[in-house]
Amino acid sequence: MDNATLARPPREAAAATAGAQPALLLGSVFVIATCGLVYELIAGTLASYLLGDSVLQFSTIIGVYLFSMGIGSWLSRYLGGSLLRWFIRLEILVGLVGGFSAPLLFVLFEYVTSFRLILYLLVGLTGVLVGLEIPLLMRILEGRFEFKDLVSRVFTFDYIGALLASLIFPLVLVPQLGLIRTSLFVGALNIIVAGVALYRFPETRPFRRSLTGAVVASLLALGVGIFFAERIQTYTEGMAFQDQVIFSKSTTYQRIVLTRNSRELRLFLNGNLQFSSQDEYRYHEALVHPALQALPQARQVLVLGGGDGLAVRELLKYPQVRHIRLVDLDAGMTRLFQHNAMLVSLNQRALLSPKVEVLNGDAYQWVRQDTARYDYIVVDFPDPSNYSIGKLYSAAFYRELDHLLAPGGRIVVQSTSPYVARQSFWCVAHTLQAAGFQTIPYHCYVPSFGEWGFVMAGRNSHWRPNGGPLPRGLRYVTTATIRDMLYFPPDMTEIPTEINQLNNQALVRYFEEDWGPYSH
Amino acid sequence: MINRRTFLQRSGLGLAGTLLAPTSLLHSCRPGTARAHIQGSLHGANHATGHVLRQPDRLPPPTRTLRTDVLIVGGGVAGLAARRELARRGKQEVLLVELDEHVGGNSAGGRNKVSAYPWGAHYLPVPDPRNRELLAFLQEAGTISGYDATSGLPIYNEYHLCHDPEERLLLHGHWQQGLVPDLGVPAAEKNQIARFFRLVEELRHATGADGLDAFRIPLDASSGDAQFRQLDALSFAEYLDQQGFTSPHLRWYLDYCCKDDYGTLAAHTSAWAGLHYFASRKGRAHNATAADVLTWPQGNNFLAESLRKQADSPILPHTLAYQLEETPAGLAVLCYDAATRHTMRIEARQVLLATPEFITRRLVAGLPNLARPALALEHVPWVVANLSVAGLPQGPGRPLCWDNVLYGTASVGYVNATHQSLSLNNHGPKVITYYLPLTGPHATATRQAAYRTSYDEWVARILAELETAHPNLATFVQRADVWVWGHGMVAPTPGTIWNPVRKAAMQPWQNKVFFAHTDLSGVSIFEEGFYQGLRAATELLAAAPPTANA
Repeated sequence: MDNATLARPPREAAAATAGAQPALLLGSVFVIATCGLVYELIAGTLASYLLGDSVLQFSTIIGVYLFSMGIGSWLSRYLGGSLLRWFIRLEILVGLVGGFSAPLLFVLFEYVTSFRLILYLLVGLTGVLVGLEIPLLMRILEGRFEFKDLVSRVFTFDYIGALLASLIFPLVLVPQLGLIRTSLFVGALNIIVAGVALYRFPETRPFRRSLTGAVVASLLALGVGIFFAERIQTYTEGMAFQDQVIFSKSTTYQRIVLTRNSRELRLFLNGNLQFSSQDEYRYHEALVHPALQALPQARQVLVLGGGDGLAVRELLKYPQVRHIRLVDLDAGMTRLFQHNAMLVSLNQRALLSPKVEVLNGDAYQWVRQDTARYDYIVVDFPDPSNYSIGKLYSAAFYRELDHLLAPGGRIVVQSTSPYVARQSFWCVAHTLQAAGFQTIPYHCYVPSFGEWGFVMAGRNSHWRPNGGPLPRGLRYVTTATIRDMLYFPPDMTEIPTEINQLNNQALVRYFEEDWGPYSH
Repeated sequence: MINRRTFLQRSGLGLAGTLLAPTSLLHSCRPGTARAHIQGSLHGANHATGHVLRQPDRLPPPTRTLRTDVLIVGGGVAGLAARRELARRGKQEVLLVELDEHVGGNSAGGRNKVSAYPWGAHYLPVPDPRNRELLAFLQEAGTISGYDATSGLPIYNEYHLCHDPEERLLLHGHWQQGLVPDLGVPAAEKNQIARFFRLVEELRHATGADGLDAFRIPLDASSGDAQFRQLDALSFAEYLDQQGFTSPHLRWYLDYCCKDDYGTLAAHTSAWAGLHYFASRKGRAHNATAADVLTWPQGNNFLAESLRKQADSPILPHTLAYQLEETPAGLAVLCYDAATRHTMRIEARQVLLATPEFITRRLVAGLPNLARPALALEHVPWVVANLSVAGLPQGPGRPLCWDNVLYGTASVGYVNATHQSLSLNNHGPKVITYYLPLTGPHATATRQAAYRTSYDEWVARILAELETAHPNLATFVQRADVWVWGHGMVAPTPGTIWNPVRKAAMQPWQNKVFFAHTDLSGVSIFEEGFYQGLRAATELLAAAPPTANA
């Protein structure tokens, strides 16, 4: 290694600045101690933020971090040669790894299946690097203080830094900068320490030029990160949702937001709740099973919408289903539910099943060009809150579905709430009838949504609530539940409505009227 | 050395250049402005034609001769409808020559990577089911999918009916639903508006002493009763004054309607034509009403292309017919092919001129014993612009519709070419088509000024208007293409429609030359072009010499 070839700096030069240097190094102790603790706090906060269960997350993160610092301290004995050079290199590295830890974890959360592994690797790496710092500094200061002074001063500054960090992190940094900017900002402090050391110590002259480049490049990288932090996570969004926002992303088509609290995970698309992990089984079991239990011959299934894979999870419970084609507009959505560990465990790897084909495209264009025949079509679109989505509930659209339906096949359509949006619900049923289908409307109670409705449609009315066996292990749907769901109390019974056509968009108007009073 | 011959040829070549490719140049906006990044084409529908027609001797002499039974000159809606009718009736050897690259005339359309878009007419009201020929065409085009068994009414293809939401109007800074001013309009004015609609509803059902509908499409099927026809002598504005319709909001709306259909203001529109706009809408359908319209991303280019596809006789594009001569066997038509820069002589037994009146007049000038009267018509210049926009910042009120009109502006607003899209992605790029009729009492001067206006000036003018509704629109515009239609459409000025000269101008010349164009109707709408083509084709077949198909 080249360190060995470097001569120690001349004693005279060191002596000339001896008065200022120890103070500077002790100041560095203070700064790096603060930074080190902040990294630990960031990792703990992020882990409980993204994964929930904060006691467990904080405990394990602190444990791993402290243990890694121990490894770092132990490794410090292997560093020789110009210690100051090592120290400057180390600061640059700590600044980069620690600084980018938070943005990296946020970005990887979506893509990485084993997020925990990445998290602990990153925490471990930061810990090792931070663990090297103090022993290294103590060795640099070795000859400049008496040992008892050295130990006392270094640890005093170390613990003061820790106190400062624990106070400014929750009170100033997170509220003012947010997690990502805090992480990048603290990283920059480490690099500034490196830069100051590089210029205040004459011993650094031989390698000043090469390390200056590294310092400047690192600062620049962190600066760019700070500038774009807004795009990585919109902090103001946290205020719009009751719970902690653990993931948010704007795709070409929509804004996907995941929130969590101690009990549940919630998914929002453009601010509208799509499901709560607590009770989504009720919705998806009610959506899929009433029709499919009566289709023992169903081989080919088409799912329109439903990029969360939760309906697919229910479909896969039937051994006779051989192929499921899912068409969802948003690749961002299906990718999330194929790769994120938490979401993949929620949909039980449904979108990764070899029986499932995931296509990203416009449902309307897809059904107009598709030539396959399906035994079962599950239509799980967002509510008809605008004119573009309203077209996917039109008689013309349902006539296209008719072309895709195999003989004896059946369709189910999520049809909003028959209680809140009574006109809208019956408009969907009547529109399906106008397209030539026999319909069977039903509804269930989903706590996070309220009363929710569905309409089954087929070319015949041969459907029976006990048409075939239901899969084992369902938590909500039984034959008795299905019978129950068919009954509409007087406040939800059928009312006359118009047919939803492309040239009248009656449904969007009903939907506005129905939900209007609730949105103010 | 340039002798006279080559000089003339080169002049011809120069003209050919203007004829063939006036659009290939990409224009830019003025640097240093908010619109500096905007580029696009500036089309002017072949205003070089007039020069060629005035000086045909500057073209090279014919180098080849073609023979056909029937020659159709002009590939607008009337020419295409005639060509289709001849094919349906089994006529062989039909040839159509068209000046432009593409047929379709005012029903031109274009396409870019975002969407197809119209360059002219862009909708057809749901037609009166008595117009059987038009319905048969629409069924063949796939616009009518069948007929309801009980009512017998046509069922329209839902993808061709204009999707909801259809229209909105920017009034007092707020987008209201529908185009009839309503938001913040005083009660007295609203009463007048209601009275006007009661009046036109009455007229919609009115019949004359002859038992015929007072207002009908085609307009030649309307009643001859003088109590209605005399309305043609008045201007629509005078009529409205007489009837006590003084509400400024109503008068703005009626000016808008006249501009929308005719390119003229109410003061320059015949009262008969002004009322016809409302009272002729007698569409009925199983799944639509008289108020519904049919539309396509490419506008009426869909209809023009359907007409074209419903016959397979050959079409010669970029070919200018510039002279007509009588021959013992029929006629000879001299045509200039702007692509090959050659002149040819096309010999035909019969010729059907589906050309605007100012062209027809020059073409027939050399025919002997011509008794055809000259029609004194005015043509309104139009400017149509297609803007490709990355987005469209919206103001308060109703969301983006198919037809979007700004109260009190010179244009008739814009249509969203992507409106019929079935995609969920409604935030992506769009193409909007902006229509500006250049109204004014002096069409010729207005036209000359329009030809002199630069690309940058048009874009600036269009943006200035649209930015009142969509702030900073310029930054969203990715491309702007502009088309100046010098002779956009015929103006039904008072005295045009029921002038006996119009009927006389439709009369064939010696069973050899036939005339078809919306100029002969006095209003430029698709149904009239279709009717004129059908009528002339029928006359041509009835007059065909017995040896024609021997």
